[in-house]
Amino acid sequence: MSKHYSNPLKTYRWKELGLFIIPFIILLLEMTQLLLARLIHSGTLNETSSLSLKNLPTIQGLIPVIGLVVSMVLVNIFLSIFFPKADQMLLPLAGLLSGIGVLMALRTGPDLSPPDPTQGTRQLLWVVLALVTFIATIVFLKNVRWLKQYRYILLVIGILLLLVSVVNAFRIKDFNSPTHDQLNFGPFSLQPSEFLKIILVIVFAGFLSERRDFFGGNELRFGFLHIPVPRINELGPLAIMLGISLLIFLGIRELGLALLIYGIFLCMIYLGSGKLTYVVGGLLIFAVMSYAGYTLLSHFHIFSYVGERFQTITFNIVDWQHWTTADETFAENAGLQIVQGIIALSSGGILGAGLGLGHPTFVPVVQSDMIFTGLGEELGLAGLFGIIAIYLLILYRGYRIAVQTADPFNQLLAAGLTSIFAIETFIIIAANMNFFPLTGLPLPFLSYGGSSLLANYIIIGILMRISHDTALANEREGSE
Amino acid sequence: MPQLDFFLLILRLLFIVLLYLFLLQVIIAITRDLRAKAPVIRGRLIVVDKGPSTFLNLGDEFELKPETTIGRGPMNTIRLSDGFISTDHARIRNHNGKWYVQNIKSTYGTYVNREPAVNEVLAKPGDIINLGPIAFKLVQ
Repeated sequence: MSKHYSNPLKTYRWKELGLFIIPFIILLLEMTQLLLARLIHSGTLNETSSLSLKNLPTIQGLIPVIGLVVSMVLVNIFLSIFFPKADQMLLPLAGLLSGIGVLMALRTGPDLSPPDPTQGTRQLLWVVLALVTFIATIVFLKNVRWLKQYRYILLVIGILLLLVSVVNAFRIKDFNSPTHDQLNFGPFSLQPSEFLKIILVIVFAGFLSERRDFFGGNELRFGFLHIPVPRINELGPLAIMLGISLLIFLGIRELGLALLIYGIFLCMIYLGSGKLTYVVGGLLIFAVMSYAGYTLLSHFHIFSYVGERFQTITFNIVDWQHWTTADETFAENAGLQIVQGIIALSSGGILGAGLGLGHPTFVPVVQSDMIFTGLGEELGLAGLFGIIAIYLLILYRGYRIAVQTADPFNQLLAAGLTSIFAIETFIIIAANMNFFPLTGLPLPFLSYGGSSLLANYIIIGILMRISHDTALANEREGSE
Repeated sequence: MPQLDFFLLILRLLFIVLLYLFLLQVIIAITRDLRAKAPVIRGRLIVVDKGPSTFLNLGDEFELKPETTIGRGPMNTIRLSDGFISTDHARIRNHNGKWYVQNIKSTYGTYVNREPAVNEVLAKPGDIINLGPIAFKLVQ
């Protein structure tokens, strides 16, 4: 079949552009609301002022949002020229979340203690940088197979980065901060663990796709129970690698990261083998080891923080009228973050106070760890459900991309990357609502933080590249 | 002249409404996408040459699932207790309407139209798939 130049207007990513319209309107409106709220707070206006043109904020204030809008349209145009067949829904979904994230960073910055007036502009710059990284990922990942081939090099890089932060941690000796895997470059800081997650998924995907058949190995039989058991000599190295990395993470107090890695490992085992028994087994091992760890390791000072973190979950916030003095002290000190977070969520109600019109900054670290509670206060339950729905849709698209590719490595990679998203989002939202101890993991796209944005846009880039390659391959096969 | 707080209320409500409109837009795009996809294709394997097999007969039919494994072992989708079939002999997968055959670990080999299926080989309806000396025809 000869190649003919298809009408560029036909292959343009209209769907994506169409999906961008409402997010752009939302961002513009919310920015206006933010500016109005600022004017109210500074006393220039008050609630009963009349709505006349001279009271409205100037267009200048809308520059951040206009910048975002322009960058996303540029990305849309770029993709339409070079990658028209890639998935068209991921970017609007991620873009809306990033936009809301920028707005929240703008909003919380000046109200923090100490105030951080440039937080919003820094977040905006990170988003633009992340979009550039996204383009770079899509362009340079000419053959996703490269990731598979060079995965051990990537792993070494990842481990080096992690070692740097471990060394850093011991240097600072501040074991109370929830995360200290940070590399600081002047005013900007980078979290290498974000990229290590991606590298680990690539390595797992490579390993599992090459040994698809090691899972159909031996069996344990207990009467009618047939329990498939992987060959020990093949599982060995993987298990050792996993064990060591988990111990390292627990040692440097990266509880969230350890949980995330283990969760990803379980997900990928299930995706690679299709056998639920492995997952159940893995969860059982996890339950046994965490109980053992909790009781045993509380004697080791280095691990005692785990017990303290779990204390917050059992704390009864709702019954505040019957708090003892000990409870009140807890609520003012160690438990301050989560107590304020829950109060923020409840005061948000269904509609929320409105962006800029609430007090999310009463919650400590609301710009990153507790962003969900801050959003809950200002956007309300309705807004939170909407945001969760956006995450679910991103997960859906990610898994759909995984299901549709033919190559096993691509499938495992796409599914694994989507699972990172799923587990991360779940852990953080659960932590914000006091179902789970706080872990310092950033909520994708919404949390203030550069490396999280970069890593998540790299994930989206890989997913879109896979979807583009799959669509091309299907077209070629269809015309044969 | 309307008051500012009324305007702010409108903005807040508008945010929620627009957010859910956006979700609706995405979901509609998704359902349109799903409807355009082809339905799942069903397939069968029919024995056309039973060779020296004592277990199978000419014309035996086996239904193919989207992912089917064939072998003597108990964990296989299609269990054939035949001497010429290995414990885990072959895997047949349907992906986007196409069938792919791959040898797992067999003494006598897996072939598609006489071609060994070391990696996944495309099999079209009408092709002959050999598990060892036994020949099956792929039918949709």
